[in-house]
Amino acid sequence: VSPKRSEAEEIIEHADASLLEIIDHVLNKGVMVQGEAMLGVAGVDLVYLRLSVLLCAADRLLEPPGRKR
Amino acid sequence: VIGLYAMVSGPLDGAVGASGEPLREVRCGELRLLVGAAPPALSPESLRAHEAAVRGIADACDACLPARFGSGAADDDELRARVEPRALELLEALALVRGREQMTLRVQEAALAVPLEPLPPGPGARYLEERRRARRLPELDPLRAAVAALVRAERIERQGARGLLASIYHLIDKGTADAYRAAVAKVDGLRVVTSGPWPAWSFAPEVAAP
Repeated sequence: VSPKRSEAEEIIEHADASLLEIIDHVLNKGVMVQGEAMLGVAGVDLVYLRLSVLLCAADRLLEPPGRKR
Repeated sequence: VIGLYAMVSGPLDGAVGASGEPLREVRCGELRLLVGAAPPALSPESLRAHEAAVRGIADACDACLPARFGSGAADDDELRARVEPRALELLEALALVRGREQMTLRVQEAALAVPLEPLPPGPGARYLEERRRARRLPELDPLRAAVAALVRAERIERQGARGLLASIYHLIDKGTADAYRAAVAKVDGLRVVTSGPWPAWSFAPEVAAP
């Protein structure tokens, strides 16, 4: 696990819904962050997992963000 | 290193970047590339700042293709070299987004209540029908129909994640977001989260990739 990856996961894990929308729009399609391609791959999947967790009913809020590409 | 914010057509004065720096224009044929300081480190604040800067640009001009966070190049020449081969595609995309903005819908899988036609009995026909449905998501047809008059372009991403069926990105004319929201709210049988209007993030071709 690279430092960049942990950083991205940390952001996504603690993001609010509006930030998740921004993350999806601003990062989706796999743009690099200073040469790091990670966010376009595992990161986007994490965004969707987290988005789905946030957007679904409260009884599903404990869905673990496990799936990664 | 320079950071790329957006590609625009037409003149634009007074645009500022994520740290408030004035943006300058790099010309590449008819394309105007708005560049500023090198992309900052990734953080929630830097993501929000980039989005806000692009939003400012999109609000101030007629046609804006946002550049994703982290886009940039070593210098103007390198940026031009990356953009030039895609200039035609980018000009077409600029024409598409002119005077328009984006709405985003998150459609939840768990909430689906739209009745579907039963699958055909034969295994071959059933397989083909399942594949057809997987591609075009017929569950979303009532939603599509409700906003069809307002939508100028559409992108749908089926989501594999549990709880989220699909993300739908719609390009609408500027100023019609309220009508769009009202039309979405009238659709029964789907749980949908609407956000926007946004700059046309999902209709901008990728540029300035390494």
